Amino acid sequence: MTKEIKELNFPEDVRYTDDHEWAKKQGDVIKVGITDYAQDQLGDIVFAELPQVGDAFEKGAEFGTLESVKAVSELYLPVGGEVVTVNEEITDAPELVNNDPYGGGWMLTLKPSNAGEFDTLMDREAYIAKLKG
Amino acid sequence: MTIASKKTRLHHWHVSNGAKMAVFGGYSMPLWYSSAKNEHLAVLIRAGLFDTGHMAAITVEGPDAHDLLQNCFTKDLDACLGKIAAPIREGRCVYGAFLTPDGGVIDDSIVYKRSEGRYLVVVNAGMGADISAHLTAQRNSRNVTVTDMTDQLGKIDIQGPLAARILARILTDAHRVLDAMPYFSFKGSFDEKYPVSVAVRLKEGIPLLLSRTGYTGEFGFELFMAADRTSAVWNALFKAGEPLGLAACGLAARDSLRGGAVLPLSHQDIGPWPFINHPWPFALPFNAGGDGFTKSFIGDRALLNAGPPAYTLAFAGQDLRKVSIHDPAFAMDVSGTRIGDVLTCVTDMGIDRVNGQIVSVASPDKPREFKPRGLCCGFIKIDRMLPAGQKVRLKDNRRTIDVTIVDDIRPNRTARCKIEQML
Repeated sequence: MTKEIKELNFPEDVRYTDDHEWAKKQGDVIKVGITDYAQDQLGDIVFAELPQVGDAFEKGAEFGTLESVKAVSELYLPVGGEVVTVNEEITDAPELVNNDPYGGGWMLTLKPSNAGEFDTLMDREAYIAKLKG
Repeated sequence: MTIASKKTRLHHWHVSNGAKMAVFGGYSMPLWYSSAKNEHLAVLIRAGLFDTGHMAAITVEGPDAHDLLQNCFTKDLDACLGKIAAPIREGRCVYGAFLTPDGGVIDDSIVYKRSEGRYLVVVNAGMGADISAHLTAQRNSRNVTVTDMTDQLGKIDIQGPLAARILARILTDAHRVLDAMPYFSFKGSFDEKYPVSVAVRLKEGIPLLLSRTGYTGEFGFELFMAADRTSAVWNALFKAGEPLGLAACGLAARDSLRGGAVLPLSHQDIGPWPFINHPWPFALPFNAGGDGFTKSFIGDRALLNAGPPAYTLAFAGQDLRKVSIHDPAFAMDVSGTRIGDVLTCVTDMGIDRVNGQIVSVASPDKPREFKPRGLCCGFIKIDRMLPAGQKVRLKDNRRTIDVTIVDDIRPNRTARCKIEQML
């Protein structure tokens, strides 16, 4: 693979899923994106298909797709809820997802339907352990 | 049981330069280094360097070598060069395919005439043994020796408008070597002792077979050398080219470049079905009327009497969104009736539509500030002939996209440019 696990960035202040998305609590909403590992595996992201504000999803539901040069990959929600904001910037500059996956490359924020779901997500140590298999 | 993938002589270079590796044709190969998109664009506007050591080469030598190839290869070696269809001659190579008796493709190939009775046959990764066995089985009483050279030869491609300028920096007597080298010609040999009219050597003395061919649709060369010289040639090219913007490129860029150049991927766009009614009629020896062939060869009757018609056609999308051929994806007419399958669907990252027309980063008339987002393109195999301009719908498990049948995809390709303009 392109980078060793130790070369990738996994912040302490987000939670992780098996499908390589991250979730971060920001007040009443949860911000969602893909991990550094996911963007590294996908390669150049050239297109992001994201939902509309107001759409509601269950935890684990497919909420969009990321298109890389080689493939099209589904995005799955770490927690269920209603979409509050969508990052319009990545429609014009999808490379933000590669360059800054936890910052400018975020996908959306949601109002969680079940606050308890967030606590079931992996922390940094558990996610790294999973990646190392 | 898992079979370990083979490594090319450049494996260590790829890994230590951050390549994302994947197995292709039995070899561990780079998919991309830092960015497949930048690698694709580098080949369109500067140059790219590809490890193609996974490809296979076979020598076919002897008094009956020509006759064996005439029987097995689709191109008519007695009538293949230029508008007048002259016979192949020393220093020229041609594209065609090896077929089964039922007209299906075993593999596609470029055949090089090195001298009278001495040919080099270049085929795809993992196909050296199969094509060698096929040629040997067809030999009968012919006086010809077939030798699979796969593990003895290295191969590197340099592709893009700056390819000749980069080569000129490292070749001995570069201007004599690069003078008068039309598309699909070659000079030199990878074999130290092989007599050639124009030797091609790096300044440090390494002998090369230098071929003005490639798999990107862009101006460039394929270089063959003794396997143990591969790293030295790669390093010399990279060092000479890096200041000019030469980029090491992986298989992802190779695939997206060839897609936009309307070139087939063997075992995906051509395969075990009749090799006819496709965008590559130049690989077949059609007569002037187009209703028969100028020679007989294995598979010829099956091609002319193919059963239910199937047509392979190129398409281009409206934007960069793809369907996944692994889902799989199929093709529908505008009323939603399934008419066939999607063979290849890639995004050419160097092109986009401007007022409906396809424009490339290499187009001289491109709009100012042209920043292509890429365009989906590829091949479908359907049950009817459709003219260019016809709309078709492609569908996989995720999405449905509208595409247009086209005669050509990426405009302003450089493959056929005169070498004098590229130096």
